[in-house]
Amino acid sequence: MSETNKQVPAVIRLSGRIDSNNAPEVEKDAMGLLTGSGASEVIIDAGDLEYISSAGLRVILRIRQMVKDVRITGVRPEVYEVLDMTGFTEMMSVEKAYRMVSVEGCEEIGRGANGTVYRIDQDNVVKVYNNPDALAEIQHEREVARLALILGLPTAISYDVVRVGAGYGSVFELLNATSFSKILANEPEKMDWVVREYVKLLKLIHGTLVPEGKLPDIKETVENWVDFLKDHLPEASWNKLKSLVDAVPHDDHMIHGDYHTKNVVLQGDEVLIIDMDTLAVGHPIFEFASIYNSFQGYSEYDHSIIRDFQGFDYETATEFWYKVLAEYLGTQSKTKMHELEDKSRIVGYARMIRRSIRRHGLETEKGRAEIELWRSRLIELLERVDTLLFDPNELEIEALSSNLPEVQAFVEEKLEAAGFPMKEQMQIGVAVEEIFINVASYAYAPETGKAKLRVEISDSPTEVTVTFSDSGVPYDPLAKEDPDVTLSADEREIGGLGIFMTKKLMDDMSYEYKDGKNILTLKKKA
Amino acid sequence: MKVDKTIENGKAVFRLEGRLDSTTSPELEKEIMDVIGDLNELVLDLKDLEYTSSAGMRVLLSAQRIMNSQGSMKVINVRSEIMDIFEITGFNQILTIE
Repeated sequence: MSETNKQVPAVIRLSGRIDSNNAPEVEKDAMGLLTGSGASEVIIDAGDLEYISSAGLRVILRIRQMVKDVRITGVRPEVYEVLDMTGFTEMMSVEKAYRMVSVEGCEEIGRGANGTVYRIDQDNVVKVYNNPDALAEIQHEREVARLALILGLPTAISYDVVRVGAGYGSVFELLNATSFSKILANEPEKMDWVVREYVKLLKLIHGTLVPEGKLPDIKETVENWVDFLKDHLPEASWNKLKSLVDAVPHDDHMIHGDYHTKNVVLQGDEVLIIDMDTLAVGHPIFEFASIYNSFQGYSEYDHSIIRDFQGFDYETATEFWYKVLAEYLGTQSKTKMHELEDKSRIVGYARMIRRSIRRHGLETEKGRAEIELWRSRLIELLERVDTLLFDPNELEIEALSSNLPEVQAFVEEKLEAAGFPMKEQMQIGVAVEEIFINVASYAYAPETGKAKLRVEISDSPTEVTVTFSDSGVPYDPLAKEDPDVTLSADEREIGGLGIFMTKKLMDDMSYEYKDGKNILTLKKKA
Repeated sequence: MKVDKTIENGKAVFRLEGRLDSTTSPELEKEIMDVIGDLNELVLDLKDLEYTSSAGMRVLLSAQRIMNSQGSMKVINVRSEIMDIFEITGFNQILTIE
């Protein structure tokens, strides 16, 4: 062993084996070096240390009694294990020796915002960080991945940090994993399966409550994007954008932040999320903005971009995007899907415009054309969208009788998913038709307007509540007298049957006029 | 909504399949009204009718009224869900159901 003294910090180099045979000698040398040196910090360079016994560990404790600040660097795995088991890693900073890994000739399997993932052998992948000094980033990503795992999300956690060239990488065990992008590119017939699994995992993420302060709030990031755009949008548009984002409430549920199909992989039968550095908390609309950009936005001007990134074409990406919307919202309703799409686009465009401008997009012809396309679409959307919030159980639609099939399908899909029996489904369908047609025929006549319906299903007992609202003329359908159902065919009136049937078919029906709206509520048990 | 009809010697059989709602009822009404003038017997086979709203009931009522004055009408193979609706609205008294 040898020791060298620099003024501050002092460096003690340990090598070979340290056990009860040579520990007293090592201690004597170390004390000699430190006594009177005035060092405020000691770095123990353990690069050549092969073995340390408890006698050796006591030497390190003695050193720490003399100088509070002790760091052990370059620790080999065998030694690290001892330091970890004995609690030394908690007492002082212990830095592992980094294994060197080369990714030359390795297959690239994924690319995220801050790094690229390569397969280094059959069982392992390494994520190489773009930033050459990425130790803090790696630390962050490991922490959030660990948090996600604890909170119940299926993800891979890196087990080692390595050096790759001049930078750093983290190593994960990932056996035979295939990204969802690859499946979409090579096995398009599996699209529906991919959509289901992708959305199932997305809903799991969005349903995960995160303890306060553990993850950043995406809304703060989005507010930065909005601030940046102040000089790039007409004043009225910018004000609207700002008020829309401000109105999104704080949400402690998790969002992934970069949830595209390269970051979701199939390993055996298990679907995993692999890129966790963008995890945050916030409203799902911010997630959808990022998903929109991945599958549509970034390639909206130049459709060929998506192939380079995802390996499949723009048509596949478009089909995938709409199927994801339908699956997430639990409906095929085009109105509903376009509502969420429009809201996603607002935040998505804001992000892309800022990103492109910061990357000197305004300095090239293509960049300017792209920014102008996004900008004009953003301005158009801001004129007609009044909230970024969305509710999968609510449908706002033009009150036209031609929209009846879409309205009925929307309700039916929700009832079907909740397992309502056919007969009750049909009865609720009749009630929904009678009310919707009533609104379509009379609420706004001779003009037109919107109707909103909300389908809420509660458990035990399974009961659906359908609430209709419209801003048309006040009208209480319950006030109408019931028809006499004992009259003969010739005596009976042709009209007036619909509301009567609704009353009879539903368990409960109520009406109120509130804040300028007709609100009609139907209830029915399964 | 699918309508399959056979007409022979003043007797028409309409087989209805699917949904009889505000959107589809006008089609059925037109099909019936186009031929009803020459009928003395009208049979509506509802074996495959899954759904009817008041719009469909109105078509049945109009047809019944016309047939009352010129012959007979009957409704056959009614499913239980549809029968419930006929009972609620008193249509089981108005229609001849077999």
